[in-house]
Amino acid sequence: MLWSRVLVLIAISFVFLFINGCQKSSEVTNSQILHVAAPASPITLNPLFARDAVSLEAAALLHPQLLGTNPYTLEVEPRLFASWELHADNLTYHLRLREGLLWSDGTPLTADDVAFTLLLICHADYTGWLYPLLRFVEGAEEYRKTRHSPYAQGAIPGIRVIDEQTIAIRLKQVHAPFLSYLTFPPLPAHKLQNVKVADMEEHPSLKNVGVGAGPYLFTSWRPDEYLLVRANPDYYLGKPEIAEIYYRIIPNIEAQVIELLAGKLDLLPTAVKVEDVEMLAADRQIRIHKNSRLVYDYIAINHKQENTPLKDRRVRQALAMLLEKDELVANLLLGFAEVLHGPLLPLHFAYDSEFSQEKGSLPAARELLLQAGYPQFKLKLIFNSGNIVRENVALLFKEQAAQVGVDVQIHALEWEAFLAALTNGDYDLAILGRSTDADPDLSFHWHSQGAGNRTGYANEQVDRLLEAGAAVLDRGKRTELYRQSQALIVADAPIIWLYSRQAIHAASADLHNFAAHPESLFYNVHLWSLAGRDGRP
Amino acid sequence: MIRILLNRLWQTVIVLFGVTLITFLIMHSAPGHPLQANPELRLDPTAVERWLELQELDGPLPAQYLSWLSRLFRGDFGMSLIYNRPVLELALERLPATLFLTVPAFLLALGLAISCGTWAALRQGGFGDRLLGLGSLAGLSLPSFWLGIILMMLFSYGYPWLPAAGMRTAEDSSVLDILIHLILPLTMLVVGSFSYYFRYVRYAVLAVLSQDFIKIARARGFTELYIVFRYVLPNASLPIVTVAALSLPLLFTGALVAEYVFSWPGIGRWIISSTLARDYPVIMAVNLSTAALVALSNFLADLLYLLIDPRLRFKA
Repeated sequence: MLWSRVLVLIAISFVFLFINGCQKSSEVTNSQILHVAAPASPITLNPLFARDAVSLEAAALLHPQLLGTNPYTLEVEPRLFASWELHADNLTYHLRLREGLLWSDGTPLTADDVAFTLLLICHADYTGWLYPLLRFVEGAEEYRKTRHSPYAQGAIPGIRVIDEQTIAIRLKQVHAPFLSYLTFPPLPAHKLQNVKVADMEEHPSLKNVGVGAGPYLFTSWRPDEYLLVRANPDYYLGKPEIAEIYYRIIPNIEAQVIELLAGKLDLLPTAVKVEDVEMLAADRQIRIHKNSRLVYDYIAINHKQENTPLKDRRVRQALAMLLEKDELVANLLLGFAEVLHGPLLPLHFAYDSEFSQEKGSLPAARELLLQAGYPQFKLKLIFNSGNIVRENVALLFKEQAAQVGVDVQIHALEWEAFLAALTNGDYDLAILGRSTDADPDLSFHWHSQGAGNRTGYANEQVDRLLEAGAAVLDRGKRTELYRQSQALIVADAPIIWLYSRQAIHAASADLHNFAAHPESLFYNVHLWSLAGRDGRP
Repeated sequence: MIRILLNRLWQTVIVLFGVTLITFLIMHSAPGHPLQANPELRLDPTAVERWLELQELDGPLPAQYLSWLSRLFRGDFGMSLIYNRPVLELALERLPATLFLTVPAFLLALGLAISCGTWAALRQGGFGDRLLGLGSLAGLSLPSFWLGIILMMLFSYGYPWLPAAGMRTAEDSSVLDILIHLILPLTMLVVGSFSYYFRYVRYAVLAVLSQDFIKIARARGFTELYIVFRYVLPNASLPIVTVAALSLPLLFTGALVAEYVFSWPGIGRWIISSTLARDYPVIMAVNLSTAALVALSNFLADLLYLLIDPRLRFKA
């Protein structure tokens, strides 16, 4: 009995696989398929609901941005919006879409789609992370608070469709970074306006039906296995060169590397390990690419416990002096990172390359600790186990700290235990990473009311400077204000800035025109090509 | 007989209920909620609040547990918090890949173990027996992920014959292509479970061989082959059935390690990622069904005992 059931099960699985195998024979030859590795499965393909990196990346293949940023200067650039102007009141933006934009089902992409998307983001049932970007739009806050209908309907006073191509957005106060927020894609109103906002995250009209306007269109998706997309012939920047992208989900990094070496993958994006770079670069079939990103690693300082010496600013300043960051980046990250002394990143226009805190001078740190009256104390430093780079940072820190009388105890914690320790505040120091905005506005993390301000940092002067920085449009003035706030923040030593790691990509030598954007892997994917493969020119 | 069965059923229900309650309590004793499972994600606090409301995670714990239980009685395992889709649908999507890997591995390992184990027991102390004994000891002691990585280094990197990841080369792959992808993860699984079953089979057969009725059978001049199939294996099968039945749940929960190492798109990987992401309904459903499967296979083993051992049937 049992055996016959087991046999039936096997037979069923075989039939299942066979049917799948016979389903369709693709006309696309292997030379036109790009095989890309992903460390995890996308969770949703709806770009407005994606929270994790892989989902955001995959969604970017299917959905084009309204506005983009330049990959080197991060200045706002046209995408679907071809042009825009700011009225004399400095509050009203008129944004114009390109002519002749189409959704993949042939419906025109118009200002109504944009207005629908903005309404959706401001709707009370919208659970993605984009709403804070629109809170300066006049009436957005009120719209989000009232719950009139489960659908993205109604009106926001600050959003007005002028004609098919043009939309006007009025802000309630001058907010300089606003345009840099409009980098999300629009969603097709004709497909989704009759869907409840609460049900939209997994709605099939973005997958099976495949309505998009991005460089690629949805073909098929097997969760945990692959996502297959095909070139969109009507893409507004021209049909992509590469016919299909086969996004393979391979959680095991070693297996990714082996598959690349065996020629079965064409691109390992973003997270190639520094220790693998030399070996991969030695292969003539492989090219290493890198680019700066808007992320950084830091050591969080928990000053909320009772009687902790970390409440004293001088102690935090002393700790911030301990690491020789230049050496750390050179030896540990083999140069694939930029040393960081404050919250402004080299990619930001307000970045100050001259700015640095006092170099790792141990006697000065010791002096500060003595002034503060803490000649000797213990600290608990935590990080997530398995992260080799962070483990080495922890060891270096411990070594340096021991020389100034601070006994650092290192705890490598399992992910869950690490989270629990962070949430419960059961640590003194914790090594973490975070991402920042394209605009140098530091409010998200450093304004006392900032949505991302989890450390509880509050400095009235900084608040005023940041508010002023967002309220003027002149770049020179903004640069000045952000540099001033950076100096104040760093003087308070709320965290220890470490470095901003670069994205390292390993690609097949056949892949041409590859260039990644600090915020998006596929920003110019329509230009990529696999020339030279299979004897093709 | 029926009373025994009913009694068994009753006990099982209580155990399953206990499992769900304990799982629920442990899960919720960790601070935070699924959206906080990654401190590096960007979140909007107002959206998080609304999300908790929509997912019904904002109520008191007992109410949450009861509503989960009442849905379960209506056959609803709930929605995955991460994927926003029914848990059952997500599981069924991944089950074929898992069964395609675990069932052949189970059959192959058990078949090999029974034949090698019997053969080794018949030649106790011989060269073959000692070699197999050593081999199975090694197979048991090697961590399976290490074995997987060594296999990958050898046959995907050193000699790039076999793929290191996934289940198919392209969307429209042939069955042959999938079988080629199956070789390495299957080998990894078979080595581990063969070593485990082999030792049980060998001891069980040895124990039977020392019985008096075997000596009598030999004295009567039966061929060795006849003795093995007629007397030895049926008598040795009780412990083997126990071990085999206990590993049946593993067929469904998947081979966690093999699926991760070889990026096999089965249920095991989904369980790991859901647990890390604190996908409560998935964790609940997985724990409940695993417990149910364990209970079921124990029950199956009992039934098989009755089938195999006439003495038990007589007692019952």
